[in-house]
Amino acid sequence: MEQEKKVGATVESLRATRTYGKFRCHNPTCMERLEPKKGQKTIKCPTCGMEFRVAWVKDGFPRIRGPVWEVNRKVAEDAFEMKMKAKEAKGKEALKENKEGK
Amino acid sequence: MALKRKIAYIDLSTGDIETKVIPLEIRKKFLGGRGLDAYLLYNHTKKGCDPIGPDNTLMVSGGFLCATCASATARTHVMAKSPLTGLLGSCNMGGFFAPEMAWAGFNHLVIKGKAKHPVYLYIHNGEIEIRDARDVWGKSVTDAQWAIRDDLGDQEVKSMVCGPAGENLVAFANVMTGIKNAGGRTGMGCVMGSKNLKAVAARGTMDIDIAHPVEALEFNKKFIEHITSAKVSQTQGTLGTPFIWGATNSWGGIRCRNFQYNQCEYADDMEPERIDEICEETMGPYHMTGCFACQVHCRAQYKIPSGPYAGKYEEGPEYTSQGAFGGETDTPRALTVLVGNHLVDQYGMDNLDTGSIISWAMELYELGIIDKKQTDGLDLSWGNDDAVIEMIDRICYRKGWLGDTLAKGGIQASKIIGKNSFDYLIQVKGMSNLHSDERATPGLALNIALSSRGSDHLRSRPAIDLYHLPEDVLRKIYGSPVPYDGPLSSEHTEYIGKPWQVFWQENCYMAVDCLGICKYHTTFLGATLPNFDDWPKVLYYNTGIEMTPKDIWDVAERCNNMERLFNLREGLKRDDPEKGDVLNHRYHDEPTRRGAPEVVGRVIEKDKFLKMRAEIYQHKGWDENGIPTPETLKRLGIDNEPSHML
Repeated sequence: MEQEKKVGATVESLRATRTYGKFRCHNPTCMERLEPKKGQKTIKCPTCGMEFRVAWVKDGFPRIRGPVWEVNRKVAEDAFEMKMKAKEAKGKEALKENKEGK
Repeated sequence: MALKRKIAYIDLSTGDIETKVIPLEIRKKFLGGRGLDAYLLYNHTKKGCDPIGPDNTLMVSGGFLCATCASATARTHVMAKSPLTGLLGSCNMGGFFAPEMAWAGFNHLVIKGKAKHPVYLYIHNGEIEIRDARDVWGKSVTDAQWAIRDDLGDQEVKSMVCGPAGENLVAFANVMTGIKNAGGRTGMGCVMGSKNLKAVAARGTMDIDIAHPVEALEFNKKFIEHITSAKVSQTQGTLGTPFIWGATNSWGGIRCRNFQYNQCEYADDMEPERIDEICEETMGPYHMTGCFACQVHCRAQYKIPSGPYAGKYEEGPEYTSQGAFGGETDTPRALTVLVGNHLVDQYGMDNLDTGSIISWAMELYELGIIDKKQTDGLDLSWGNDDAVIEMIDRICYRKGWLGDTLAKGGIQASKIIGKNSFDYLIQVKGMSNLHSDERATPGLALNIALSSRGSDHLRSRPAIDLYHLPEDVLRKIYGSPVPYDGPLSSEHTEYIGKPWQVFWQENCYMAVDCLGICKYHTTFLGATLPNFDDWPKVLYYNTGIEMTPKDIWDVAERCNNMERLFNLREGLKRDDPEKGDVLNHRYHDEPTRRGAPEVVGRVIEKDKFLKMRAEIYQHKGWDENGIPTPETLKRLGIDNEPSHML
């Protein structure tokens, strides 16, 4: 049939990119590939600083069980504070520009 | 073969039953399942009818590939006008019912009228009978199915039923089959209850008659290999869908305390591995099971380990029950999730709407908008596990003022409660959002705002948007079968390119819903799972119908437009906060506070959201008000609807 050659093209090429023994950081903007050692219980992402508890689906197949709450909570609080300060500063600047009639 | 399977028209008021062959022309235009149901709904339901009146029409169907040699084609679809939203009602479930109905010779049922007393339909090898269900009425989901088997003297009968919630006309009552296969969202169980239709039972031993059986089996082996080799499928087969909730909560994409937070902290007791431990302790090491013709086996089995329900058998919980009874209500304890899941399954009630509406009531209680007078003394404080379980029971049986009010659904309840309660209701088109928080993911926010049955993740969610896939990979997926050279972004916080992704996913999900394939077997959670390129062969080998990937895309687009036409006819208006393509203001006004660094401090910027909405309307061939243009309807061959061809 007409579709003979095309069937499976996309998925088959993408399947070739799969990796085992590793997972990606749960921070969706980071997605650093992390490779825990056998039996390792926590892992810290060297790129974004988030830290996770590790579980093993089976030998050689690790996954993130969940965050190390204290660590990631601090990361979130710091990021929130920084963003709100930046937003406040931006607001003040806009107000100043308005007053000066820019 | 699949093409020989018929459609039946059943009038419960008169007892008349008529059967017809489904013409090939119709199959090529709508395939089957949800798509053909959308055509039937538009053609057979009176404009403006009362959703719980006899004029509402209930469609029951199996996907076109259901009960063939194609993998994971177990899906049953049910459609009617929704008593929850007043717009499109639609639900889809796995299990074993649709294959049994197909073996009994039928792919589609159109059920009209209202029976004088409770009845059930029995479909058996080309015959349909209306039987007395007065002895089955009032029974739980599981007990009803066993009672029907006893009544028919056949343990192999498969039934889809409404539970007590449907009988009590809870606006978000489910259609159920098996222990936990749930046709949830939009209240199709309520429509069954309103028709005095307790169940549809099926038993079939007719030939499956495959067009090219050897090739079909050979190709299916390859298909199965694609599915089972995916890491996402292997994780699901080990932990079930709770792994999705765990991962999403980890980065901050989960609603907690209704909409106050975007992460449920210290939820270790309800993480997937913990739930898996309970399943293993109560059911042994081989506690995963699956639907018809599926190799993933994502459904866990468990017994409730302690408390008043100790020892009760149940299946799941899905990630949706974790969200509903753990995250949203801030009760992150396995026992609450397992008991809540058990109750909604046995009552036949949508877990997402139930959890969402309880968490909304909890926020109203915290704000003083309702108090102990309305709750009949119940303390609805955050984290009160007993109150969550109690409210599930009160809603199903419409006990007390609050139970009865919430059973009407969010929008009706907000009108009764008054004050500014509507501002806190997290819904789109009258249906509660699922447990996810989309403030950091504009693509996902656009998905829920435009979904045809109200806020929903299973109609157009570009879930792989969270994987930060390189642009060339995104282009490979989203550039076929219709070429696309516009922008695409790997960044989940971006707005550009998302309208195309949502449009593509909408057609992808409609296609699997027409074919009857489970969404876990396509580009939903896994980027490496089959989609348009792979379906034509499955279709050809099993049914003999030749279609290109583009042909299937066109079917999906046509069916999505049929759903839109129905919604517009029933009152959808673009900017209507109750029936429009809009988000609750909190998405735009309240920044996220928890999760990954790039996730915190996020809102959906309204101007950018409106630009995305305008762009997706263009992709769909709709005008600026979200109405399909005459050219679009003509291109899709639905410019003369209702055409009454079937």
